[in-house]
Amino acid sequence: MIRGFRRADFWSGSVLAALGAWIVSEAQRWEYLGPDGPGAGFFPLWYGIAMVVLSAALVARSVLAKGVDESRGPLAWAEIRRAFGCWCSLVVSVALLKVVGFIASFALLSWFIVAVMFRQSQRLAWSIAFCAAVGFYLLFDVVLGVTLPTGVWHLAAWGPAWTS
Amino acid sequence: MTRILTTFFATALSVAMIGSACAAFEPKRPIEIVVHTAPGGGNDVLARAIAAITEKEKLLPVRIQVINRPGGNGAVAAAYLAEKRGEAHTIGLITTNWIIGPLVTAEAKVTLQDLTPIAQLVLEPAVVVVRSDAPYKAMKDFIDAAKDRPGQLKQSGGSLTARDSVMRQVLQNATGARWAFISFPGGGERISALLGGHVDMMIIEPQEAGENIRAGKMRVLAQVAATRLPGFPDVPTLKEAGYDVALVPQLRGAVAPPGTPPEVVAFWRDFLRRLTQTPSWRKYLEDNQFEDGFLTGPAFVHAIDETTRQLRRLLPEAGMKLVR
Amino acid sequence: MDILSGLAQGFSVALEPLNLFWCFVGVFLGTVVGVLPGLGPPATIAMLLPLTFNMNPAGAMIMLAGIYYGAKYGGSTTSILLNVPGESASVVTCLDGYQMARNGRAGPALGIAAIASFIAGTVGVLGLMLVAPPLARLSLAFSSPEYFALMTLGLAMVVLLAGTSLVKALLAMLVGLWIAGMGTDLFSATSRFTFGRTELLGGIDFVIVAIGIFAIAEVLANMEPRAGPRMLPVPRGLANLLPTWQDMKDCRFAFFNGSVLGFVIGVLPGAGSTIASFLSYGVEKAVSKHPERFGTGVIEGVAAPEGANNSETGGALVPLLTLGIPGSGTTAILLGALILWGFKPGPLLIEESPALFWGLVASMYIGNLMLLVLNLPLVPLFAQLLKLPAFAMYPLILGVSIVGVYSVSNSLFAVALLTVFGLLGYLMRKLDYPAGPLVLGLVLGDGLERALRQSLMMSQGDLTILFTRPISATILVLAAAILVIPLVRRMNAVRLAAIAQES
Repeated sequence: MIRGFRRADFWSGSVLAALGAWIVSEAQRWEYLGPDGPGAGFFPLWYGIAMVVLSAALVARSVLAKGVDESRGPLAWAEIRRAFGCWCSLVVSVALLKVVGFIASFALLSWFIVAVMFRQSQRLAWSIAFCAAVGFYLLFDVVLGVTLPTGVWHLAAWGPAWTS
Repeated sequence: MTRILTTFFATALSVAMIGSACAAFEPKRPIEIVVHTAPGGGNDVLARAIAAITEKEKLLPVRIQVINRPGGNGAVAAAYLAEKRGEAHTIGLITTNWIIGPLVTAEAKVTLQDLTPIAQLVLEPAVVVVRSDAPYKAMKDFIDAAKDRPGQLKQSGGSLTARDSVMRQVLQNATGARWAFISFPGGGERISALLGGHVDMMIIEPQEAGENIRAGKMRVLAQVAATRLPGFPDVPTLKEAGYDVALVPQLRGAVAPPGTPPEVVAFWRDFLRRLTQTPSWRKYLEDNQFEDGFLTGPAFVHAIDETTRQLRRLLPEAGMKLVR
Repeated sequence: MDILSGLAQGFSVALEPLNLFWCFVGVFLGTVVGVLPGLGPPATIAMLLPLTFNMNPAGAMIMLAGIYYGAKYGGSTTSILLNVPGESASVVTCLDGYQMARNGRAGPALGIAAIASFIAGTVGVLGLMLVAPPLARLSLAFSSPEYFALMTLGLAMVVLLAGTSLVKALLAMLVGLWIAGMGTDLFSATSRFTFGRTELLGGIDFVIVAIGIFAIAEVLANMEPRAGPRMLPVPRGLANLLPTWQDMKDCRFAFFNGSVLGFVIGVLPGAGSTIASFLSYGVEKAVSKHPERFGTGVIEGVAAPEGANNSETGGALVPLLTLGIPGSGTTAILLGALILWGFKPGPLLIEESPALFWGLVASMYIGNLMLLVLNLPLVPLFAQLLKLPAFAMYPLILGVSIVGVYSVSNSLFAVALLTVFGLLGYLMRKLDYPAGPLVLGLVLGDGLERALRQSLMMSQGDLTILFTRPISATILVLAAAILVIPLVRRMNAVRLAAIAQES
């Protein structure tokens, strides 16, 4: 029985209900109604409650729904793994920004995408990585004067950034 | 265009020769001035004016760059400055917000005591304005009306920690009158609230309201200043109007990152002193109706401490909770 | 000063060769800045300010204004081609524009964006010229209760953007409201949902969320198929590269809608071009004969918001030039610039400096024309960008996103947040939550809460202030209508379907 869709609704609804409950609890720490008007806790309380109510409705619908929902097939876990892998490479690249700077980490990211995700040749991957990194550097740092992260070793820190 | 290219090459060249620190500090790289507002905000405009005047009067051998780090009423900019420990080419422009932030916001971890004060540059006065068709002709009229109808008159202003809010608290304490305070995030919205008749009064910096006053749309009831401003010779100060209250200052000054060596601080102090003596600076003060409040060294530190003490007393009365 | 003579004076200023040159520089720079996500007019104008001190002030103002409205032309490019919003107002363009690109109609989308921008931009200047002072006075009647009503109207658009599941759309909107509430509360200076981090004290920049949820999520989603992503078809032949006459006819109302709505909203200080583009998109969908097609690549869905965010610039200049009140970040810098050059922005500016005002107005006509001439031929050029193979395109998108976010916020924390929102956007796609309502909640949440609290402070806690003031009451009724009518339609449709099933 294809229940992928409903299960997803169930879990996302539960997560959102938990979020809503947490928002409500945080909102109660703040002033609800101050001397001059609604306080900081007013709005969060209400949209937190709305979130809990709506997500409970979603969860209920996913559990009580009759019949099978054919609109989505079974989740393709292999594909999701690919997307997730790509996301992880992005996270690593961003983490590296602080250490090696934009040029190096972006080159690595580009290489990963071309070589690993798209399975192109190593030569193509490295040449794209190189062109992309240099191209971005030239366009942003040199021409537009946008300072890019340079990392611990200050790679390419001598970008002019001529604008003030 | 050639100026841009020359500056570009000069900068690139000077960057390539990073000299060692000598006894007298000389800037070798472009200077960063850190401000806590987005482009167009109060200190941003001041920083750009400083950059412009410096360039015009050739006070520095290098360029000045304005770095915007808005957020959290100065907390983000203060944190940025704290990270640049010992960095001689970075200074920050502060306002009273940098004092208030750490007092009431737990996340604002960097206080002025952590940073190295250089000098106070200006004091911003304020004026109490109402619409020109309002029935109040003097400060007393407004206060009396507020006493008659407590909580019904309204003032538009910035956040609860802004100077106009704290001044309101001061006045309410001194007179026993009560009126509402409505916060608007932008100066434009505050002014349009007053002009549109949705609020009754504002405490505003003269340069923000100047044009509307000149055009006759706003009337000034009193000045929040020690002596009468040249732009408003006929308007009484709060003290002259009968309200001898503490004048909450809106100061603007310069600080350096923590751990800045004394010769660097001396250099910045000297630079700012030269800046404030130029005719361009005088004109800038006049145009913007700032009070010259140039203070350095212990006098500046004392001023900061005084203000901090005053705010510690006033902020809880305004309903804020102190966290430090 | 009467309008014709003012305009004559204005054109004599604007047509000076040097000023024409500055106009061109401004609009060109503006287009470039608009195309690049993250980098926006405020930062660019601020960067160029020192260079303007040696220019004549009229020329400088012409250039800076050119950057301001030029950026709105460029913002649609990456939205349509890459699903990366060029700036916050272009997010709405992503909704239908990118879908049009997926359907092979990137050319017409880009073209109609330029045309709508031209028409709306010109209408905006006309408005500035003809009705500025009286409109500015009228806009003063707009205050917090009216803003609340306007924001509620915007949120009512959620129903229109909902798609299949209303519950999920509402949930997405609530998450958007939550993200909007992060940061320091204006009224009480309490920090909300900052998780103890200083960086979150100022809230999360809209650009970070938008780029994450649209662009990054799109890249991630396209990574899924083993065989490589489905590439966007490249339009061939001139006929497919520009909008057809049928397209232009379809967009008749969109041109009108975008121009007028954008201009009016621009005049209100504090309301921004993002709200203008959302509202005009919503209005377009509401009056359309085929509302269910919005979101799949309908050309009016591109024309209306693109027009709105352009005429909004004309509108935003109204309070700046007639009252000295800046309505947004960019106009605040322009205000500072005017003061630095020695002008006195306020109610007397037009009288005292007619050369500046009329010169600016005249230059905006010229600038809009320049932009149309610049942008239309660029459409085929930009469309060729789609020829890039996927393995080159996606690193490009990711790189542009990272640089865009970093240039706006200058903080690695913001880039880290970008990855979080990228993941969120991807999850939302897989779980069938629509992104539009989240963005809408994010844009409007702040303003909505502020306006409500300000209104209640004005009325000492009396909620009826929202209904006793004529303007806000009217808008609220409109919002209610927008909410109720589609709901009723839906319920009827469900009921009819149920009846049909039973019989």
